[in-house]
Amino acid sequence: TPRHATPSIPSRTLAARQPTNVLEEARTRLHVSSVPESLPCREQEFQDIYSFVESKIIDGTGGCMYISGVPGTGKTATVHEVMRCLQHVADVDEIPPFNFVEINGMKMTDPHQAYVQILQKLTGQKATADHAAVLLEKRFSSPAPRQETTVLLVDELDLLWTRKQNVMYNLFDWPTRRHARLVVLTIANTMDLPERIMINRVASRLGLTRMSFQPYGFKQLQQIITSRLNKVKAFEEDALQLVSRKVAALSGDARRCLDICRRATEICEHSAPDPSATGLVGMSHVMEALDEMFSSPYITAIKCASVQEQLFLRAVIAEFRRLGLEEATFQQVFVQHQALCRVEGLGPVGVSEGRAACQRLGACRLLLLEPSRLGLLQRVRLNVSQDDVLYALKAD
Amino acid sequence: MMESCVTHAPSWSSQQMRGVSANQMPEMKSSQEVVIVIIINMSKRKVKDDHMPVGECITQVQSILRERFCHQKLPEKPQAVEAQHKHLLELLKRTAIHGESNSVLIVGPRGTGKTMLLKCVLRELLGDKEVQKNMLEVHLNGLLQTDDKIALKEITRQLHLENTVGDKVFGSFAENLSFLLEALKKGNRSSSRPVLFVLDEFDLFALHKNQTLLYNLFDVSQSAQAPIAVVGVTCRLDVLELLEKRVKSRFSHRQIHLVSSLTFTQYLERVRTQFSLPGSFPDAKFAQEWNASVKTLCEDKSVEEVLQRHFNSSKDFRSMHMLLMLCLSRVSVAKPTVNPSDLLEASRLCLSDAKADMLHGLSILELCLIIAMKHLNDVYEGEPFNLQMVHNEFKKFLQRKSNSMYNFEQPVVMKAFEHLQQLELIRPVDASSAKTQREYQLMRLMLDHSQIMEALQKYPQCPTDVKQWAMSAFG
Repeated sequence: TPRHATPSIPSRTLAARQPTNVLEEARTRLHVSSVPESLPCREQEFQDIYSFVESKIIDGTGGCMYISGVPGTGKTATVHEVMRCLQHVADVDEIPPFNFVEINGMKMTDPHQAYVQILQKLTGQKATADHAAVLLEKRFSSPAPRQETTVLLVDELDLLWTRKQNVMYNLFDWPTRRHARLVVLTIANTMDLPERIMINRVASRLGLTRMSFQPYGFKQLQQIITSRLNKVKAFEEDALQLVSRKVAALSGDARRCLDICRRATEICEHSAPDPSATGLVGMSHVMEALDEMFSSPYITAIKCASVQEQLFLRAVIAEFRRLGLEEATFQQVFVQHQALCRVEGLGPVGVSEGRAACQRLGACRLLLLEPSRLGLLQRVRLNVSQDDVLYALKAD
Repeated sequence: MMESCVTHAPSWSSQQMRGVSANQMPEMKSSQEVVIVIIINMSKRKVKDDHMPVGECITQVQSILRERFCHQKLPEKPQAVEAQHKHLLELLKRTAIHGESNSVLIVGPRGTGKTMLLKCVLRELLGDKEVQKNMLEVHLNGLLQTDDKIALKEITRQLHLENTVGDKVFGSFAENLSFLLEALKKGNRSSSRPVLFVLDEFDLFALHKNQTLLYNLFDVSQSAQAPIAVVGVTCRLDVLELLEKRVKSRFSHRQIHLVSSLTFTQYLERVRTQFSLPGSFPDAKFAQEWNASVKTLCEDKSVEEVLQRHFNSSKDFRSMHMLLMLCLSRVSVAKPTVNPSDLLEASRLCLSDAKADMLHGLSILELCLIIAMKHLNDVYEGEPFNLQMVHNEFKKFLQRKSNSMYNFEQPVVMKAFEHLQQLELIRPVDASSAKTQREYQLMRLMLDHSQIMEALQKYPQCPTDVKQWAMSAFG
């Protein structure tokens, strides 16, 4: 019956194939999902969170911590590692045992579902959101002998925002109760989130224990890749340096770095003359992967557009120059379009043909358009810079 | 039977132009399928002798080519996209065989063969027995799954998870989500079956609240859970800018761009191959003759000119198929070959201007009002006008003429004006129309000068004085 179903994906008939050569091995290791045993370059942050949680568990008190940083800087991974280590220490009885509960704002449909998920992970009970809130309130406010400390990790905190902010208020208010023994670790992207979206009484309960994860520098990214590869020799030194320098300059996102390396191994594999004798991943392969992932598709799209579409783009620019504005109606552009057609020696272009070209450019977002029922009065803007358009049209 | 084919065909192809693939609209296909079944039954009876009567040959031709043009039948091998084909195939193969999670976006303008590429890759991939047994597929379309709740139910249904009974999915939205995530979390790289998610109209999924579905799919693909491959298909080039930062970070930034870098000679060649009959055609002699006639057709100068014009206006394959379809529908038993004139006629149909055609159907009074509006536009440089101004302008024209043939009452003029508004040839400036009286409501003309002049030239029995009035520069 669906009520007591155990969620699972059917298992496969044939086991997955294991990697056979160096590049495949490297690719498996470089996949974002294969989180290493210990995270390089986050020792300081690890230590801070570790001592914060450890002290709370030993003292049997509660508290909050706010962790921020741009995506892909290892926030969640670090917290998970801390919890793994603490669990290990608790298993050998050096600190009192504790519960670990994790919720993620993006993985629930509504902020109030947080109560349901916390309750279910703590006690296994299923309840509606309101009922779960009451039960949790009772659990955290009434004294109970031999209650274990609970560590609650709230990922993507900004998604728990509601108009009255009661979910966030409760999450930060429970740790302040005397008997709660609750440690709340919250993770979000922006550093100033508490000041921006929280009302005073919520922000004050969150407290000032904050930590921000800086984006990785190029040396750190390089170290991360090397530690992942763990002596599998698949990359040239320079190639690694190029990837890490490029990514560090753009975002410092470790996921991006790993994805590019993985793509580079594929390119290397394809470019090799026979599959058995693939060399190391070199500069050229990495360059190609970087181009693929960072280059903008607009220029090739303009180059490959049909003649009328290219003419329309030129007409748009001509009209913008004439008006001195960055916006024109279709009718104004169309006059230029007709003139350009005459100059180019093409046959006269009809209104519906011109509009079709305009709509096609709008559909792939080279142009930004108003709704098409406005007909001739529809206003047109460029979604790319004029220089890009001119460059793309001139190049051939 | 033939007739019914001809009349229905354009509506199907226009359905497919909107990006709804045929397998999601079974009821649309059924009547065509019935027709094909009848055709096949008819052809089986007479397959013994080599030469079939012309009538049956034509039915065969119609059914083969119609399937090619209207049903977007997959070609044997995708043309001109070998590199992209290989990239996608390798990627999905690795998910299927090695259990590696991946995400990829296929981006390209409409009608460049994104879905065709994907379907070709899937056909080749599932041709492998080992893959076919292991892989689970989930197909979602942004036009059908308009919010995450529906999408989740659809995923659960297509995966046959345990909270489904028959085709019904139990539990609330939140329960469905946690059930699915739990199921995916239980899996691992080496033992659970890989799942392929195909998200058609990917950009519409980015409009869902919080992008929950995308976040979770990408998150699963980036963590050690059940292996999944997420393939998004979209025509928007700026699709990555629609994604939230945390969703974007989890996406692997692999994009496969499809652009048609066709030259005109390739385009001509493609028209020829698309229109030619395959070698497996039952009547070899007829097929030979047909293919020869198509070859001469494509070498014809006037046809080449027309095709050049279509090529200039757009390179997408759907508009080419539309043209060929219109051409094909003129082939009948009485006229078993395609002539250049058919193609010219089809092209005329394709390129005709809808607004100008609408003007042909107007009465003289309505046409006069349109001309008056044109003059107002000329004099006041596109400022909006109301009925009073138009009527005055019209009266000026009447005064200059002794003939009082067009002397209509105000209510009649008003009716004509309203009719123009209903046809959306004119449009109110602001939507709040309830406050002002109808005579004083400001309007704008939705026609270009060239359209008005063209329509006047072709208008049946247009009075000369009206024509002259239209030509004159100042009212």
